Amino acid sequence: MKSNKTIYTILLALTLWVSSCSEEYLDREPLDQYAEGAVWNDEKLIETFVNNIYFAVPHGFHALMMSSLVDESMAVWDWETSNATKSLVNPSYLGVWDEDFWTGRRYQQMNWTNGFRQIRNCNIFMEKIGEAEFADENLKNRLIGEVHFLRAFIYHNLLSIYGGVPLIKVAYGLGEDYEESRASYAEVLAFVVEEADKAAELLPLQQFGSNMGRATKGAALAIKARALLYAASDLYHNPSWAQGFSHPELISFTTGDQMSRWRAAKDAARELMDLGLYALHDNGEDPAENFQQLFISKETSEDIYVRFLLQRVVESWDIGDPGLYNGPNGYHNWGGNTPIGQLADDFEMADGSRFDWNNPVHAADPYGSRDPRFYATFLYEGAQWRQRPANLRDADPQGIIQVGQWERYNTAANRVDIVNGLDTRQGPIEDWNGTYTGYYLKKFIDPNVDHQYFRQEVPWRVMRYTEVLLNYVEACIELGEESEAKTYLNMIRARAGMPPVTETGVDLKKRYRNERRVELAYEDHRYFDVRRWMIAPSVYDDAKGVRVRYPLLTGNITSPNPTYTVINVQERAWQDRSYLLPIKLDEMNRNFSLIQNPLY
Amino acid sequence: MKNLVPLVIQMTKLFTYVFLVQCLSMGLLFANDTGAQIKHREQVKINVKFHNIKVERAFSRIEKVSGFSFVCTDEELKRIETINFEGDNKGGYEVLQNISSQTKLEFRKVNNNSHVRVNGQPEFEAAVVEMLAEVAAFPLTGVVTDESGESLPGATVLVEGTTIGTVTDVDGKFSLEVEQGAVLVISFVGFETRKITVGSATTLSIRMIMDSRSLEEVVVVGYGEQRKVTYTGSVSSIGGDAIRTAPVTNVSNSLVGRLPGLSSVTRSGEPGNDDSIIRIRGTNTLGNNGALVVVDGIPGRSLARIDPNSVESITVLKDASAAIYGAQAANGVILVTTKRGKSGKAIIEINSNLGWNQPTVLPEMANAEQYLTMLNEIDTYRNRPLRFTDQEITNFREGTDPWLHPDTDWFGEVLRPWAPQSYHSITASGGNENINYFVMFGAKGQDGYYYNSATRYNQYDFRSNLDGKINDYIKIGFDVAGRQEVRNFPTRSAGNIFRMIMRGKPNMHAYWPDGSPGPDIEYGDNPSVITTDATGYDQTNLYNLQSTLRLNIDAPWVEGLSFNGNVGLDQTFTMQKRFETPWFLYSWDGNTLGPDGTPELVRGQRGFNDPRLTENMGADRQLLVNGMLNYNRIFHDDHAMRVMVGIESRTGYGNTLNAFRRFFVSTAVDQMFAGGNAERDNGGSAYQNARFNYFGRVNYEFQEKYLAEFVWRYDGSYIFPQGSRFGFFPGISVGWRVSEEDFWKSSMPNVDQFKIRASYGQTGNDRIDEWQYLASYGFGNIPYIFGVDQENQALRELRIPNPNVTWEVANQYNFGVELGFFNSRLTVEADVFYNYRSQILWWRNASIPVSTGLTLPRENIGEVSNRGYEFITTYNGNAGDLTYQISANAGYALNRVEFWDESPGAPQYQQTTGRPIPTNPFNPNQDLYYQSVGIFRDQEQIDATPHWPGARPGDIIFEDVNGDGVIDGNDRVRNERNNIPRFTGGLNMSAQWKGFDLSILFQGATGAVRYVSTESGEIGNYLKDFADNRWTPENSSADFPRTFNRTDEYWMNQRNTFWLNSTDYVRLKNLELGYNLPSFITSKLALQKFRIYISGFNLFTYAPDLRNFDPESDSASGQSYPLQRVINSGLTLTF
Repeated sequence: MKSNKTIYTILLALTLWVSSCSEEYLDREPLDQYAEGAVWNDEKLIETFVNNIYFAVPHGFHALMMSSLVDESMAVWDWETSNATKSLVNPSYLGVWDEDFWTGRRYQQMNWTNGFRQIRNCNIFMEKIGEAEFADENLKNRLIGEVHFLRAFIYHNLLSIYGGVPLIKVAYGLGEDYEESRASYAEVLAFVVEEADKAAELLPLQQFGSNMGRATKGAALAIKARALLYAASDLYHNPSWAQGFSHPELISFTTGDQMSRWRAAKDAARELMDLGLYALHDNGEDPAENFQQLFISKETSEDIYVRFLLQRVVESWDIGDPGLYNGPNGYHNWGGNTPIGQLADDFEMADGSRFDWNNPVHAADPYGSRDPRFYATFLYEGAQWRQRPANLRDADPQGIIQVGQWERYNTAANRVDIVNGLDTRQGPIEDWNGTYTGYYLKKFIDPNVDHQYFRQEVPWRVMRYTEVLLNYVEACIELGEESEAKTYLNMIRARAGMPPVTETGVDLKKRYRNERRVELAYEDHRYFDVRRWMIAPSVYDDAKGVRVRYPLLTGNITSPNPTYTVINVQERAWQDRSYLLPIKLDEMNRNFSLIQNPLY
Repeated sequence: MKNLVPLVIQMTKLFTYVFLVQCLSMGLLFANDTGAQIKHREQVKINVKFHNIKVERAFSRIEKVSGFSFVCTDEELKRIETINFEGDNKGGYEVLQNISSQTKLEFRKVNNNSHVRVNGQPEFEAAVVEMLAEVAAFPLTGVVTDESGESLPGATVLVEGTTIGTVTDVDGKFSLEVEQGAVLVISFVGFETRKITVGSATTLSIRMIMDSRSLEEVVVVGYGEQRKVTYTGSVSSIGGDAIRTAPVTNVSNSLVGRLPGLSSVTRSGEPGNDDSIIRIRGTNTLGNNGALVVVDGIPGRSLARIDPNSVESITVLKDASAAIYGAQAANGVILVTTKRGKSGKAIIEINSNLGWNQPTVLPEMANAEQYLTMLNEIDTYRNRPLRFTDQEITNFREGTDPWLHPDTDWFGEVLRPWAPQSYHSITASGGNENINYFVMFGAKGQDGYYYNSATRYNQYDFRSNLDGKINDYIKIGFDVAGRQEVRNFPTRSAGNIFRMIMRGKPNMHAYWPDGSPGPDIEYGDNPSVITTDATGYDQTNLYNLQSTLRLNIDAPWVEGLSFNGNVGLDQTFTMQKRFETPWFLYSWDGNTLGPDGTPELVRGQRGFNDPRLTENMGADRQLLVNGMLNYNRIFHDDHAMRVMVGIESRTGYGNTLNAFRRFFVSTAVDQMFAGGNAERDNGGSAYQNARFNYFGRVNYEFQEKYLAEFVWRYDGSYIFPQGSRFGFFPGISVGWRVSEEDFWKSSMPNVDQFKIRASYGQTGNDRIDEWQYLASYGFGNIPYIFGVDQENQALRELRIPNPNVTWEVANQYNFGVELGFFNSRLTVEADVFYNYRSQILWWRNASIPVSTGLTLPRENIGEVSNRGYEFITTYNGNAGDLTYQISANAGYALNRVEFWDESPGAPQYQQTTGRPIPTNPFNPNQDLYYQSVGIFRDQEQIDATPHWPGARPGDIIFEDVNGDGVIDGNDRVRNERNNIPRFTGGLNMSAQWKGFDLSILFQGATGAVRYVSTESGEIGNYLKDFADNRWTPENSSADFPRTFNRTDEYWMNQRNTFWLNSTDYVRLKNLELGYNLPSFITSKLALQKFRIYISGFNLFTYAPDLRNFDPESDSASGQSYPLQRVINSGLTLTF
């Protein structure tokens, strides 16, 4: 039985083979990830770990910009921004701020969940970095500096949104006590300042080459200046809005004096200015052109901390494509965060006077002789914009924005037809993306890119020198150092081609605040400014827009000049609880030591 | 191993070898077929004459003409004188008889020789008779039929007490050499075995009686088969024929309503993406609830895509009997057995089907007039100027100008009434005692619903199952199955397409009156275009090769001992190619007229600016090796013992590679090289896994009355950390066949079967995310950009480790009874079960504050119970020529979360513990609903009622559940129903009358819900139901709320019970009517059988609470490919 012998041999071999397999056989390694030990012994991997924390500093190029939560713009699709602009956000439903919301990633990146997730990453880094061996000690110090900066940035962000939050400096493991209560406003602020100072000490003055975009000493000083300016503001010295809230320390200072805080804010800004590294961007061109270029250039002299974007790097359908999100529907764009009338109206006349619809000269030609920045910030009826897409080139060969309607006499039918502009809500293309306000955003948008197909590569300026100067100006005004304030304020105005401000006292403060609104429009400052200045109750007013119509004149000729009517386009409302965002009900239910923000 | 190329070469080699071996062996098998039989003596006609010749001479002459050989010694023959014989064409035995009578010689057959010796014994006569009786066999032919006279191919005909036998051919015919008085034993699965004593007749017609008791019916169980009648586990099974009656291209869609305890829902009918979600005994755990699918002993093979014509049976193990599969079996096991060849003539069957499919239900949408009116209402509610004048709306109602005022039915414009599908197959099977074969080729195709559909699914299969016998002790089996799945899709997903159709505005054109495609909704998406190949294509080719080598050795020296070994090597290659090209749409500004006075359309490029190509490749390999020792013995007639022990290892490895290029200068060549260099991209990854285990089974039966089974598995999995990788999983079951007891037989003669059985088992579940015990880090998908344009990897913590991670444990209790009445014409099988799953791996994220920032690992913290019942009852009847079968089955399962991580602050009515598993356990709060208690009629009612901030008349009223006067998150109540039905049932009826056969399946399910919330407003159209019944100031007593815009209203963005619908349904799932052409026609066509039939699937549905959508689909917004209704015609030819 020869074949049986073969079988026995096979059987024996099989038995030996299977019994030799055991634990080792089951030892498998993941092929798509790194083990913890591998990471913290490899300076390159550690650097990539720090790279990830940089995502905690969001850029503003999201479909739903922060401007649409405040009196700068209105999201044409709403996308529940009304919840925010009507003060309806509540612990049960955060809407666009909720991490489960289907869009609004800007807010999700800034909110509690993501903030603390990145705080943990910072804390892991701080716990592990001490043991890590680096061939390049400079790299190690630089990375430590970067993480201190990022931790300062994240806590400043959380502090501005929520007030005092749990101050977590450890990386938790399983089975620990997680019930951390909220630290006071002052404690969190102190930590932000401490972190910023540590960062400033370790970080280089400038980052070069492939490290551009990493935090620098300037970035650390700038976040410190911003944090101290916010902290000096009225909101954190006047908790009366909270109507007897029993934990005022969470939402404001309970001791100390505001003036010293203004001084600290001023000193912090000054410290950065004294570095002498930055200058206002001014290439000597026409001021409007110059201002437009400032936001579509890859690098400028006033960049302190920027976030670069690339066409090929797509984070999400609703991130990083501002031209598509905000361009007119007549360009197959989405309309997006359309400027509201109030913002457009706050751009002064070129002579420095206020624009006023009640002034018949202004009303007849609202877009003539305005602050040059007006032309760099908005698209409006008659504004020259880029070439139309192929299927609309016949209808508009020149690329002129059409947010108006023409009354045209139809001789054949003997009636008046209304012809809707290409960029209106009644237009032939994607009408649901048409503006209600009569404006579209121009700032940040690269006119050389066909946005329906391509993403632009314009960086987002998280911190630029002008903001620091304005912070300095604000602190000086509050300290009564008005001439110092005006020096820098007028420097900014001069760059914009605007005449100097001469007012004093309350008027000066008003001009300053308007200047900040105009200069920093859409740059994610206004949401916080209206709160810390406590002017929110008055600015959350119904959003206005303009209706543009080319009437039929006698003789059945359509007027070449439109008439403008100011209209209400969106109801808005304010409740004081909206000074701070609520902590989500789910989180309150997880951590009994948390105290909810007032009035929720 | 990590390199793809050697792997491909290796596979190719293997495949070539396998294929050659198969071809060769099949050649041999055909060649052998006629020469295989050994002639019997009487068949040999001997034409000899001899006069007075020596007997040796006579023998040698006979040897020459007959092939007989005689062995004898000269000594014995010397004394014999000459002999004489005359005769033409005499049978061999006659010749020998004659010689014997002349010579007193005796012949004995030893092997193929006739031994000759002188018989000097007194018993001479008897010896001759004995010897002659041996050769007195005569040719007997017969036909075996069932009760209705239908021939039974494949029935076994055996001569009792011998190994002589045969199998009936396709006509039910057999022929056999038998002796008078022999007893034929005729048996066939499902029929009572008959014994017939052979008389003088040379032809027999044997009618078999259906054995509803199926005494010898076997069930396929883990690593073997068991006799149904003595099996103690809870299993259900169906044969391949039942599956084939459903005219669908996906086997997973044809199981529902047929197997008690198995529920399935089909979410989408998209060709190629239409797998059903299958649950055995409902939902048992928070994580993966998928059953383990084992095809021919190899886990991990596709159930959905197996060719139905190759399926012999499908069996479901529902209780502790699954424990032999250990760590993978906690959710039940589905065993698929493919067909194998049977000895006998080759049977060739051709099956051809042509069918047509269409959506079961399509939503009805508002018309243009309603839609525009509603848009105006949005403006009214927002205090904005109205966008349409009454005149404009009137124009749309009247539709006087088809260019300016369309009223588009988007579903009608995009979907054709019927889409074609087809399925063809050819099978051949047969064999002899040494080798059996089953081979099959199949081809399937199914088109999408769209006009000029770019969606199409094609599948090509082959299978070759070979069984060979090397000698009496060793058998080998070799199976190869190959499958190609071709999925063609447009470059836009079905979800996106149906989103666009749902959003399609009735006042926009799908096509202009001149036939040009109309403008897009956005992104260039006009559903009438993005459903075609105008936008490029997306094709996935999946190649799957399954090979199994089996070895079966019956130990010759120990009775009942055998060894079984299997090696299964499965390889899958996936190649996806996606070529996206720009397309063109036509728009009109509403004014411009061309020179001929007709509207001048502008052709515009939409979609992508430049062509772009993405290719993804993946390879997956699974190797399984196992070996089992079996020992079966019956001791002292009463004690039957079967023991099996086995060992198995399983490894998997796979990798992916992808590439991307854009900026193709032309669409003429769709290959990577032709793309631009800018923004090129590529990527890749890999995985590996390993499992290793020991298992066994012991069966004991006493007098076939008292039954017990013990199965176990000692399972090791790479999922767990070293030291805790192995787990032990036992299962025990016992049974008592009460009906075998004498007292029962005498007192309950009509109840011929009564078995009670019970089981308890513990199985594990390792189907969780890998590497939970490791602290690991991975790169995010998005690089961070420094240095203006430098992409940098971003590494993040994937999880914190849980070093204690271990098996989820499933405790399964089952109690069942099996009853048979009236000779088992009526049978009832019923089971109740209780499953308790503990140590479920789940996250503690409901209680751990988000402020920790933790990315939690799974911990063994969850506990879930699940209880329910199922039954099946079947009646077989006949009346005259009519035979029929009615079978009803049902299953019910209700689960409950016994423990898991609960948010400590949530009110009791929101907690999950003590309630069923949430729809989506990852997001349990999705099941929290505000309670809708009507519509606010007016402002006074709002003022008098706690309401959501900003509520206005026409809004939905939320109930103030906790009575605190405020509507907030604490007023949400947990809904206990989810999207998996709790109760499913089926009613199967079949009947045969003369040449006709009919089978009908009604199927229903209850206990599931579906949320309906369409994407409507400025973004898209409304359901007609909503438009007709909405609240307006004029119609303030409406059933529905006021016009909303997308999710802007609180009752659209807060889940509430207003939009929650029950999906209880009953449907005519399946119907088939067939006709066998009578034999006088088929015989002229040289066919054994010619059957034509028509069949249907999802023909009629009754779902009272859910209009507009199919009750099995679950997309709240209707943005998914609808389920299909199919009508089909087919024919089967058997040669």
